[in-house]
Amino acid sequence: MTGAANLWANRLRTDFRAALAVVVLLALLPAVVTSPYSLGILIVSIYFAMLALGWNLLAGFTGQFSLAPAAFAMLGAYTTALLDYHLKAPLAIGIPAAVIGTALLGLLLGRVVLRLKGPYLALTTLSFAEIARVVVGNSYEFTRGDQGLNVPTLFESRVGYYYLFLAVLLAMLAGLYRLLRGRAGRFWLAIRDDETGAESRGIDVVRYKALAFALSCAICGLAGSLYGTFSQLVSPELGLLMQTGLVISMVVIGGIGTLTGPLVGALLVYLASEWMRGFGNIQMIVFAAVVIVFARFFRTGLWGLATRPRREAAAGGAAGVKP
Amino acid sequence: MLALDLLVNGLIFGLFYALMAVGLAMIFGVLKVVNFAHGEFYMVGAYTYVLLALKLDISPWAALPLAAVAGAGLGWLVERTLMRPLYSGYASWSLMKDEYAVVVTFGLSLLLINVVDKVVGPYPFRGPALIETSRFSLGPVMLNGQKLIAAGLSLALLVGLALFIKRSLWGRQIQAVAQNRLGASLAGIDATRTTSLIFAISGLLAALSGALLAPLINPAPDVGAFPAVKSYVIVVLGGMGSIWGAMAAALLLGVLEAFFAVYVSYDYRDAFGLLILILVLLFRPQGLMGEKGREV
Repeated sequence: MTGAANLWANRLRTDFRAALAVVVLLALLPAVVTSPYSLGILIVSIYFAMLALGWNLLAGFTGQFSLAPAAFAMLGAYTTALLDYHLKAPLAIGIPAAVIGTALLGLLLGRVVLRLKGPYLALTTLSFAEIARVVVGNSYEFTRGDQGLNVPTLFESRVGYYYLFLAVLLAMLAGLYRLLRGRAGRFWLAIRDDETGAESRGIDVVRYKALAFALSCAICGLAGSLYGTFSQLVSPELGLLMQTGLVISMVVIGGIGTLTGPLVGALLVYLASEWMRGFGNIQMIVFAAVVIVFARFFRTGLWGLATRPRREAAAGGAAGVKP
Repeated sequence: MLALDLLVNGLIFGLFYALMAVGLAMIFGVLKVVNFAHGEFYMVGAYTYVLLALKLDISPWAALPLAAVAGAGLGWLVERTLMRPLYSGYASWSLMKDEYAVVVTFGLSLLLINVVDKVVGPYPFRGPALIETSRFSLGPVMLNGQKLIAAGLSLALLVGLALFIKRSLWGRQIQAVAQNRLGASLAGIDATRTTSLIFAISGLLAALSGALLAPLINPAPDVGAFPAVKSYVIVVLGGMGSIWGAMAAALLLGVLEAFFAVYVSYDYRDAFGLLILILVLLFRPQGLMGEKGREV
C-alpha cells in the first residue's frame, strides 16, 4: 500500500467515525426534542442528508456531476405512490420497488451518459430531471398531475419515523464506507482524479461509473419513497431543480467528497432554513450566498476547515493528494 | 394555412431564442463552461425594464437601453467576482473547473431568483408594451405590435452582433481568445479583459431579450428558467460555443417547437426541447455545426 493510499484510508476512517458520532448524537436527540413539530423537521433534514450522501457519491467520489438527485427522489416516491394508487400494493412491496426501480433507471441513465463530462453531463442530467418532472406533472390520468398522490403511512408515531430514517441513514453510511474502503472506492477515486489514467491501468471504468450512478440513484429513490410515506403526499414539487440546488448547497457547505460533510451540511442547512423561516423567506438567499462563498474561497467545506490543521500535520508534505 | 402561421411564429420565436442563447454560446466558446445563471440575466433585464417603466414612469423606449446596461453590468460583475478562478490556477482545486462553474453559477441562479422574489415579490408584473396595438393579421398570420417590434429589434441586434464580432477589433479579439486563450495572450491580447467584455455582452443580450419579451410574458422571479432551458438546447444543438450555430439552431428550435405543440402534444412541449438536448448530447455532442468537442 502506497503512502497516499494509506493516507486516504486513515482519512476515510476518521471521516466515518465522525459521521457515526453525528448519527449517535442524532439518536440521542429525541430524549430532549419531544415536540412532533421539531421531530418532523429533524426527519426532513435526515431525508436531505440521504439525498446529499447519494449526490456526493456521484459528484464527490466519482466526479460525475449530476443535476438529477431531486428527480430520483421524486421518481422513487412516485414508484411507491403509483403502486399503491393503481395496484393497492402494500408498502412492503412499494418501498423496495422504489429502490429497485430507481437503481435500474440510474443504471440506464449512467450507461447512457457514460462518456459525458462536466457541463455536458450537467446539462443531460438537468434535462432528464426536467423531463421527468414535466411528464409526471402532465400525465393527469396516471399521476393526478400537480395535485399529487396520497401515500399510506408506515406508522403513526413520529419517533418511530425518526428512528427508521436514522437507521436507514446509518445503513447507507456503513454501506458507503465499506464500498469506499474496498476496491470500488479506490477505483471511483481513480476515475474521479484521472479517468484516462484509470482506464489505462485496467480499471473497468464503464462498470464502476455505472455502479456509482445506480447506487446514487437508488439512495435518492429510497429517500424519496420514505419521505413520501412520512409526508403522505407525493407531488412533482419533490423533483424541482430548486431541491437539487438545496442538496448541492448542503454538500458544498458541508464538504464535498467526504462522508461527514454532506451529513453535517444537510442538518445545518435544513435546520437553519427552518430557523430562518421566522425572519421571512430569506433562507435560499443566505444559502445561495454561502454556497458561492464556500465554492469560491473554502472549497473543502466545513469538514475540510475542521480537519485542516491536523491533516496538514499528518500529510507531512504528501504532495499530489487532493484535499 | 396553419402551417404558414406556425412557420412565421416559429421563426419569430426563433429570433427571440437566438437573442437569449447567443450570449451563452459566447461564454461557452471562451471558458468552456455553462453559465447556469443565464436565465437570471434575462430575468434581471425583464425586471429592470418593467420596474423602471411602471414604478419610475420612464418611457419604455428609455427603459429598454437601461435594462441592457443593467444586464451588461451584471455580466461584467459576475465575471470579475466569480469566473476568475477558472483561468487562474484552478488546476489544483478539489472542485475542478467544470464542477466549480456548475456550483457557482447554479448558486448564483438561486441567489438572484430569491433576491428578486424577496425584494420585488413573487407576483408576476405586466410590463408595458413598446407600442400598444391590438392583434392584427398579416395574411393568415396573427401578430401583435409588440411581437413584431421585438422580432425586428432582435434581428437588428443579432445582425449588429455578427458584424461586431466579424469586423471590429474587439470582436476579433473575442474570436482569438475563443480559439486559443494562451495563443491570444502571447499575441498581446488582454484575455482577461476580453472575457469581461464577453460576459458583459452576454448579460446585455440576455437582459435585452428579457426586456423585449416582458410585455408578452409577465415577469416573475422564476421567469428565467424557460429561456435558460431554451438557451441550453440551442447552444448544444448549434454546437457548444458556436455563435453562428446558436443563431441557426434557435430558428430551427422555434419552428420545430411550434409544430410539435400543434401536431404532437401541447402538454409536453417543454419536454420536447429537453429531449432534443439529450439526444444531441448523446449522438452528436459537437452539435449540428460545431467542431468535435466532446472531451473538455
